[in-house]
Amino acid sequence: MGLLLWRAQLRMFINQTLRSRQAGRLAGTITGAAVIVLAWSWEVIITWAGVQASHRVPMRIDMVALLSLAFLAYTAVLIFSSLVFSLNALLLNADLDLLLAAPRRVESILAGRMVAQVLRLLMLSLLFTAPALLVLAIANQSPLLLFAFTALYFLYPVFVVVIISVLSLLLVRFIPVGRGRELLTLFGVALALGINLLNFLLNPALRDSGFRRGAPPSLPDVPAASAPWLPSGWAGRAAAAILSGNWITASEWLLVMLAVSAVIFAIGTVLSGRLYLAGWIQAVPPRRRLPALARAHQRSGAVPLLDPVLASIVIKDWRMRTRDVAQLVRFVMPVVFIFVIFGLRWPRLLSSVRSLGEGPVAAMLGLVPVWVLLFSLSISLGLTAVSLEGKSIWVYAASPNSTLRLVQGKCWSAALPTATLVALVAVASEIVIRPGWLWATTAVLLAIALAAAVTTLMVGIGAVFARFDWTDARRMMHPAAAFIGMGLFSIISAASALLLGISIALAGATGLPLFTTWLAAMAVSIGGAVAVAALGILFGNQHLRELEVL
Amino acid sequence: MLSTRLLTKRYGSLTAVEDLDLEVSGGELFGFLGPNGAGKTTTIKMLVGLLRPTSGSARVAGFDIMAEPEKAKARIGYVPDAATLYDKLSAREFLEFSGDLYHVERRLRDRRVETLLKLFDLQDRGNDFLSGYSRGMRQKVSLAAALLHDPQVLFLDEPTVGLDPQSARQMKDILQDFCREGKTVFFSTHILEIAERMCTRLAIINHGRLVAIGSLQDLRHMVGQDGQSLEQIFLELTGSREEDVSAVLRGLES
Repeated sequence: MGLLLWRAQLRMFINQTLRSRQAGRLAGTITGAAVIVLAWSWEVIITWAGVQASHRVPMRIDMVALLSLAFLAYTAVLIFSSLVFSLNALLLNADLDLLLAAPRRVESILAGRMVAQVLRLLMLSLLFTAPALLVLAIANQSPLLLFAFTALYFLYPVFVVVIISVLSLLLVRFIPVGRGRELLTLFGVALALGINLLNFLLNPALRDSGFRRGAPPSLPDVPAASAPWLPSGWAGRAAAAILSGNWITASEWLLVMLAVSAVIFAIGTVLSGRLYLAGWIQAVPPRRRLPALARAHQRSGAVPLLDPVLASIVIKDWRMRTRDVAQLVRFVMPVVFIFVIFGLRWPRLLSSVRSLGEGPVAAMLGLVPVWVLLFSLSISLGLTAVSLEGKSIWVYAASPNSTLRLVQGKCWSAALPTATLVALVAVASEIVIRPGWLWATTAVLLAIALAAAVTTLMVGIGAVFARFDWTDARRMMHPAAAFIGMGLFSIISAASALLLGISIALAGATGLPLFTTWLAAMAVSIGGAVAVAALGILFGNQHLRELEVL
Repeated sequence: MLSTRLLTKRYGSLTAVEDLDLEVSGGELFGFLGPNGAGKTTTIKMLVGLLRPTSGSARVAGFDIMAEPEKAKARIGYVPDAATLYDKLSAREFLEFSGDLYHVERRLRDRRVETLLKLFDLQDRGNDFLSGYSRGMRQKVSLAAALLHDPQVLFLDEPTVGLDPQSARQMKDILQDFCREGKTVFFSTHILEIAERMCTRLAIINHGRLVAIGSLQDLRHMVGQDGQSLEQIFLELTGSREEDVSAVLRGLES
């Protein structure tokens, strides 16, 4: 059953890529394959260099601790992907019902899905590590190495996949179907935050001083990772034994994992069947909104200085973004990460910047957290602004408005919150840093202007790569759009920093007033960003004009 | 009010609609029938400006939908098959948004929103998010949005799917009232009884080609047998083969 399901998944993948007969998808497949080959080549080179270096300079590394830690980290990935997979199957996709309608035992179907999930994880593990393993097999003259790791990759995820499947079936007894998407989003946020906080707390490179220079590399201090009673410890020991050619020890640990996996799989399959047949909450009464709340929303039906069509797009998008947890995360996550990255290290960073005294350099350094925020918001809001319409795009497409009007509305809806948040953080940052009011004012103005221009540019790129067929908010953003958007953001940021740096150098070299050269650099920087944004809007509009709502 | 001339839509080698010529006058309730995949939805989407014809032309309310799309769309109301609406908006908010998109003056818009919510018996649920609405309720919201800007031509793609009998009856009354004001309704349906009872004229499309057009009486003359039901006429004109179905089913049993 597992192989049957896996074969169906593989067929779907091939049909959507190689057999799609769509130029865009074929190009995407070829590009993806090229990227994989490139990454594989890079991995081979790095591994080979590492092997050579280890021959020349022998290093004392506790391989069991290192590999156990790697497997512990892999466990976090497994938990997340398995939970998403299981809850998606139970709450969001209808294909499980189709399978369960077949004349097969429920246990057989659920076990089949677990096997398919394990096979998928095995393929992913090999995709990421096969080139390195191949190099190690050649370097160690151990052709069995790749096969032993394949067995390890196959056995290790079993316990996680089974436990998470059973837990998901338990969870959906309490989570209504209509809340599945929100729960998955919140779980993703919690996991991302948890991993980042753990990284800050456990990673020796960050734990003490934040950004230590010259400290010798060391492993995170997690002794439990290699404990002999944890699967990560078994896998770490098996992997270390395989790499050192100690096949008896490796076989012993692999056999332990095989026995435990088999028992967990058997128990999990029976339990899953029982839990599934016990049923779960399928629906909840629709949410009723308080009349007072609804009236409050009705009052806020206009945006000053915007015509009704643009205002209605801005208000509608704001409501969609703030009422849907999956969308709200796009707002909240960047702010939270700003806090995690800069907030926790603020006193140390502040004293470093203040030591520079008043002037443009301190003012610009105050914009560093603003830039991180702008990067996150412009990418997450700008690139998805047009795709946010989803399958409801017909509503706009059937209305008597041009596509340019839609793009304009989307620019407002993405740039207004981005520029507002950027302005707030920039003002707060400059107040704390105190680089002098004149420099602080110019820095804030520069941040606001670039925020508006960059977000507008992202809306244009998002329009070129708009996706309207998504059901999962994570698929709103086209990977090519993200790649181009990040690239252009980096170029604009680097060019602006370079221009401002040149203005300081120019004032020093020519004796011109610093403020004059500074303003000139700001004007050129903003002008350049606005020009690129205008081009983005033109391209985006041109693409949307070709749009057909199928 | 509505006319097409050699309207054609091709997707690569597949011809969805071919050389479609239609004339629909004001005040008509026009039924557009055809089997699955015949080209009904494609035709409607071309007429409301969601798809570009490969060739041919279409005029709606006096405007060429390709040359002057915004002027034409301002006079069109459209209810798609299984409308996807914004889940996180309430019905009231969605109707307000729709009114703004169609440039309805704000006070008039608010008045019409309340009238339509009441008409479709949604006033108590008007502040609930659309994600909690059933398919039939969403269909009502779509129709309310299509009527909000007082269009001259209403296009409906399978409008009765998902509606309970009372709501289907209500929709029928609304559409007939709409036509009495001299406006046009163009709708596709699979439910031939509804088409038979409601429509002033009908068109049947099969494999993208128009196979018949006229009143029910005209269609009966066309197939040469008076007194036939629309279902019989439809099956005859679209070449459905009941005897073949029986043979296939017998084959499955053996």
